[in-house]
Amino acid sequence: MFVTILDVVIAGLLLGGIYALIAVGLSLQYGVARVLNISHGEFIMLGAFGTWMLYKMAGINPLITLAMCGPVIFLIGFFLHRTLFRSLLNSSASSDIFEGRSLLASFGLLFIIQNIAILVWGADIKGYSYLSYGVNLAGSLFEANRLVTLLFAVVISAAFYLFLACTRLGKAIRAAAQDPATAGLMGVNINKVLALCFGFGALMASFAGGLLSMCYPITATMGMEYTIIAIIVVVLGGLGSIVGSFIGGFLLGLIGSIVTYIEPGLALVAYYVIFTVLLLAKPKGILGK
Amino acid sequence: MDITPLTSKKSLISGAIVLVMLILLAFVPLYAPGYPVVLLSSILMYVILAVSWLVFSGPTGYISLAPAAFFGVGIYASAIIGKALPFPIVVGVGGLASFCLALLVGALTLRLRGIYFAIFTFGLVMLMAHSMLFYELHITGTRGRFVMVMSYNTVYYYMLGIFVLVLLTGYLVKRSRFGLALYGIGQEEDAAAHTGVNVTMVKIITFAISASFMGAAGTVMATKWTYIDPFIAFNPNYSFMPVVMAMFGGMGQLYGPVIGAAILTYLEEFLVTKFAEIYMLIFGAILVVAILYMPNGLVGLIQKLWKQISKRKHAVT
Amino acid sequence: MKNKVLLGLLVLTVAVVFLCGAGITPSLAKDKIVVGMSRPLSGWLAVIGDSAFKPIYETWVPMVNAQGGIYVKEYKKKLPIELIIYDDKSDVGTMTRLTEKLIVEDKVDFLWPACGTSFVFAQAPIANKHGYILVTAEGGATQIKDMLPSLPYVFVSLSFSDWYELPVFAELLGEAGAKTAYIMYIGDLHGIEYSGVAGIEFPKHGIEIAGIKSVPPGTKDLSPIIKKAKASNADVFCAFGYPDMVLPATGTSMALGYNPKAWIGGPGANFGFYHTTFGPATEGVCGFTTFACNQSAAAKELCDKLYKGKPEEIRDFWGHPLYWAALEFWKAAIEKAGTLDQKVIRDIMATEKLNTMLGPTWFENGLMAKEAHTGEIGQWQKGVFEVVGPKKHATAKFVYPKPAWPKPKK
Repeated sequence: MFVTILDVVIAGLLLGGIYALIAVGLSLQYGVARVLNISHGEFIMLGAFGTWMLYKMAGINPLITLAMCGPVIFLIGFFLHRTLFRSLLNSSASSDIFEGRSLLASFGLLFIIQNIAILVWGADIKGYSYLSYGVNLAGSLFEANRLVTLLFAVVISAAFYLFLACTRLGKAIRAAAQDPATAGLMGVNINKVLALCFGFGALMASFAGGLLSMCYPITATMGMEYTIIAIIVVVLGGLGSIVGSFIGGFLLGLIGSIVTYIEPGLALVAYYVIFTVLLLAKPKGILGK
Repeated sequence: MDITPLTSKKSLISGAIVLVMLILLAFVPLYAPGYPVVLLSSILMYVILAVSWLVFSGPTGYISLAPAAFFGVGIYASAIIGKALPFPIVVGVGGLASFCLALLVGALTLRLRGIYFAIFTFGLVMLMAHSMLFYELHITGTRGRFVMVMSYNTVYYYMLGIFVLVLLTGYLVKRSRFGLALYGIGQEEDAAAHTGVNVTMVKIITFAISASFMGAAGTVMATKWTYIDPFIAFNPNYSFMPVVMAMFGGMGQLYGPVIGAAILTYLEEFLVTKFAEIYMLIFGAILVVAILYMPNGLVGLIQKLWKQISKRKHAVT
Repeated sequence: MKNKVLLGLLVLTVAVVFLCGAGITPSLAKDKIVVGMSRPLSGWLAVIGDSAFKPIYETWVPMVNAQGGIYVKEYKKKLPIELIIYDDKSDVGTMTRLTEKLIVEDKVDFLWPACGTSFVFAQAPIANKHGYILVTAEGGATQIKDMLPSLPYVFVSLSFSDWYELPVFAELLGEAGAKTAYIMYIGDLHGIEYSGVAGIEFPKHGIEIAGIKSVPPGTKDLSPIIKKAKASNADVFCAFGYPDMVLPATGTSMALGYNPKAWIGGPGANFGFYHTTFGPATEGVCGFTTFACNQSAAAKELCDKLYKGKPEEIRDFWGHPLYWAALEFWKAAIEKAGTLDQKVIRDIMATEKLNTMLGPTWFENGLMAKEAHTGEIGQWQKGVFEVVGPKKHATAKFVYPKPAWPKPKK
């Protein structure tokens, strides 16, 4: 009995690690740049395919490909913001209008990116085997790759948190998140910061994708499911709070694991019920401002 | 958004043109039977979805990504009761079911900021699919259902009927006090509330009305697919396309989405057979371009061009 | 003023649209047989379509055309086959529209099937309504048996759960002494059917169902269920799903060290890519099959035609021979009919026995006769997917218990 509980808890943490990572990425994009990026999942997918491709073609260790794909996808995100979203920002009369238009624009991006991926890699399922042996943890077997994923997710999130807290750029980002206008007055290059944040969000997504590809098969259409989860976690943790997203991710992962244990078909439904309850009771989330 | 009331002469001319168009459409099965009827049914489907979407999301500025959810509800209505009741009632039930779902969703999320609404509606489609799947697996023990088959012409006339109803409703809503309230909400929600408008009620009801047409359309179109299951019925594409079409056509007038839907459905038809591999890419690009450079859609572009031309005409004199 | 212009534009748009749609029907001078198909060239079904029916028609049609085509007495000559293929993007709505387009607008002579069970269900009534013969390839389910009497133009070629795979499997297991089974199935028509039939057939041979769990399509993490299966200590494990479930289920079973005495996987285990992915680990894994290359001279000939010089991934021991035989049957029926009139051909297909690579082949009530199947259950043995059941067609003996998974490499 105890083993089962531990089993479920650890499985929840494993899930939660990925959820936390993708939520932090989305939170950056929405919290600072005010773009609710519905195509977030597509960046996850790109990271996953990038890793798969490098592993299959050049035999590079997937953990190393994280460092290789990451910067590329970061640049794509950065560039997208500099061009598309900045243009929307400049031509939107209010921030609500901007939010709406950027949401729709990211919706369009979703279809564009997915189609490009299908053209390049095909529509079928790809996978590879990496670290897929079992590791004995407190009496239960878990796949090594998932434990590594959890480790990396936590490390990356922690590193980013330190970055935000301790570096000048990090402080600039936090200032921009709180009050872009004042931050601009205080000498922060707002445009650059917003674009950087969007890029960082994409970077997180790419890391998550690479880690996911180690554990599960991937397809070009895998993104949307993760986008929904990321959005739910971000709302759960509080729109705009990065720490909230991190905690929310693990919380949702635990819930998912428990529900899956009882009835696998209800996981997404359960997430939605939670989302609904949140919206009714505490829309600002756990740590929302 | 143009809310200046049309002068009576203008509205008479517009009305006449719409009537001519409807008569032309009504007789299509007679002089162009077969595939054109099928194609036009598909176009009407997207037109209905796009116009319904605009009726709510246009004036209020609340972006709904839920059309596919309501469309799917209609499809399921067709599958579940289609064989048991006369079809006009089935269509009514499809519309009613979507209406009720929209009431629920609206009541939950329209009290909050627009972004929560958008998020909720985005995930709603997948939620409906998974819920329906669970229901079918564990409660009814089957998966998927068969829908009765109807002739092409019957489907076409039903869609035409729903199209007329949507246009009528959209027009009436816009011209009524209700429409004024909606517009006020879209412009400045707090101010609208201060003038005594029950903002939440207005939003929810409009949302539900627009959803009911999507459901009705789904009920009719289901008969063309004969077999449906949760993932066929709740397909995110039917949320994406109406949005693209409405933005492309122009969100200012009711006929913006009509034009957008007509043109883009034909484009889709063309792409699906010749360039199927890049069809999503093209539509995504159209959406992005429309958002960036065509804030008033095709209609807006043409209006701008017209203004330029008339300016030049006047300048010459 | 501008409203008038815009409304005029609207009318114009509508007019243009239906004029283009109406189109001019090209007159068909009979020098070829046009066959239309809506296939998943993209989307989630692409992987199944590409491995299953696609290699068949891509090999069979050029082969037939190289001999001049199909001889049709009415035209006193051989007519080559021309294929029109549309991509339905693995979407049923698109598929039905394209099917209607092929029939009503392109006016093809014949229709070949779309891919997937729910697609078969949706396409069948449309083909039947227009009097077009539909021989199905991938897909088919118990439920369709009930529908077939009202669909005289539909002919289902693929074998499935109770036609006649699971009864054979249950018998093999019962004889080998299996006592319990754990079933994991995908939450769709296919999974429900297979788990349902297993639930009926297994107890007939003394096998108790120790556990049964459905998994929504797209679920990636199967470890909770496999852990439960392991805990149940069942003798037999069944993964009734598609390749995107069967392959991860195999990998997870290996990683978690789950070694039941028998392990059977649905579509996925029968393909060459199963072996290329897992190599020697496939030893003892069961799946559904129809033939083995060394089974007969006709089987060897088919394998040479389809697989020689091509990568191992594309091999499909379950569907390929059935689809090939179905096409041969269709061709033979046309030749016997001497005309392209589908009603005449349909009557022949429904009533006659014709020869194909499987031997004498016929359809009973729209289903390919199970007596024509040359295999139901296969098992990977030393890299070959042998036929182990039914015994009269077996190329090897059923191995039970399955050897343990080899230790995965670090």
